[in-house]
Amino acid sequence: MTGSSPVTAELATLAAPRAARAGAPVRSAPALFITPLVLVMAVGFVWPLFQVLANSFHPNTPQGIDVAHWTLDNYRRLVDPLYASILWRTLRISAAVTAITALLAYPVALFLARLSPRAQSWMVLAYVSPWLVNTVVKALGWTLLLRGNGVINTVLRELDIISAPLRLLLTETGVVIALVPGHFMFVLLPLWTAISALDPALAWAAGTLGATPFGVFRRVILPLTLPALLVGLVINFIMNMTAFAIPMLLGGVRNEVASMLAYQINLVSLDWPLGGALAAALLLLTSTLVWAGQRAALMGVARRGAKP
Amino acid sequence: MILAVNILMLVLVLAPVVLVVWMSFTPSASFVLPLTAFSLRWYREALSYPGFIDAFFLSAELAALASLITIALTFLAAYGLVRFRPPGSEALMSFFTSPLLVPAVVFGIAMLQFVNRLGLYNRLAGLVLAHVVLVVPFAIRSLAATLRSVPEDLEWAAMILGRSRAGMLVRVTLPLCARGLVTAFLFCFLLSFSEVTTTIFMTGPALQTLPVRIYTYMSDRIDPTVAAVSALVVFISLALVVALNLMGGLRRLGTR
Repeated sequence: MTGSSPVTAELATLAAPRAARAGAPVRSAPALFITPLVLVMAVGFVWPLFQVLANSFHPNTPQGIDVAHWTLDNYRRLVDPLYASILWRTLRISAAVTAITALLAYPVALFLARLSPRAQSWMVLAYVSPWLVNTVVKALGWTLLLRGNGVINTVLRELDIISAPLRLLLTETGVVIALVPGHFMFVLLPLWTAISALDPALAWAAGTLGATPFGVFRRVILPLTLPALLVGLVINFIMNMTAFAIPMLLGGVRNEVASMLAYQINLVSLDWPLGGALAAALLLLTSTLVWAGQRAALMGVARRGAKP
Repeated sequence: MILAVNILMLVLVLAPVVLVVWMSFTPSASFVLPLTAFSLRWYREALSYPGFIDAFFLSAELAALASLITIALTFLAAYGLVRFRPPGSEALMSFFTSPLLVPAVVFGIAMLQFVNRLGLYNRLAGLVLAHVVLVVPFAIRSLAATLRSVPEDLEWAAMILGRSRAGMLVRVTLPLCARGLVTAFLFCFLLSFSEVTTTIFMTGPALQTLPVRIYTYMSDRIDPTVAAVSALVVFISLALVVALNLMGGLRRLGTR
């Protein structure tokens, strides 16, 4: 029972015998409520993941997956110079996006936290709502912005900043430019929540003790909110690593990234064991990152002796 | 400086969406800025293109089915977890939210190989199953929060006054959770309606949701027709987002 009013206590004693009388049905009740969802998740989530993992250990034959034999060959085939270069490009793009996001997140989150609650709610809406519009539509918008005669090039030329159009579409730069705002929300939301939860008296106290505004940020706000930033950055990095529509439509096949390779192997070459191995490798990589990020965040909290 | 960064970021976040909507009203066959005239020509064009219409109805049907199933299953599970607090509640909660930790591409590959094995490739049922899994993490958090805000005392009172647990659930808990249920439904619908990555792995040309249809069209050519369809998608999403915000649903996103 929650609540501790006399009425609540009275009701609890009244209800207790009735619950006891009901006996078995009450004890099995939670299972009755929870099992349907557990079953659906087992069939629709756990089973497919194990299936793909199992497939990755079988050889691929022209007749399909040879389930009678087990092999590590698919993982060996992943270590290929071409695949390595694709993975390297994916990491490079993702790291660039995450680094830029890390630089931009604090100014925006600090700005938001200072606004009135009403203004904050609308600003957050402005940052979040584009995330709820599908990525393909945003990719179209970025194509119109980035291409040779697109908005960015036109504006820069009108202002006489450049003479020849910049090549942005079908380059890694273009992909990075589009991914930064695309996945910004995943860092902004946790950081904004953490900053809003800070006691304003902390910054005020540091100020009275002679800290400059930047000193307050560096010595007070930054250490207290770093775990939240880290959590957001890890999610951001994973989203970058596995983004599909933006790199495909803005980077093109010449700038192939891991998710496009996955599409190629699974739906064009139809080599599912190899595709399974790639999925397993991606999942291992991202889970390691999540784990490391959470550990680092927890350690950061523990070191300062604050409550996690 | 802070203000400048904020303005820059807001522009970057909003620009692609705003630009698509703006360009969709062009009267000419190419994208020229600034627009000097206003025309609905490309909307007529888009609405008479059967590929987009079919895809829209498929997306709407898929999103509605997946959200309804998710809300029903998740409400029951959230009730079980919040009210009975059985041993292992924490672990179950992490299990229900774990699809968030699996990248959409990995889940797409898994679903592709899985639905093919079951003979569900290119079938609505396979897509519904995948979308249910993808939106459960959001629904379970939101509905658990809703249920925690409904006083348990009222449920006890109803049962003491002679209602069975099922009767109490229908006559007391459900009405009290109505707002939370609608919010969760809208949010799930929105997520499913805009899902691209997993869906693209699971469907061939015969069964394309609207985002996938727009994607295939764009891989081929970019013209104002696709801008008009995209603008319609933006309007639908925006209407749902505003409805959500008015019901206070977006605030819960930040607090996780």
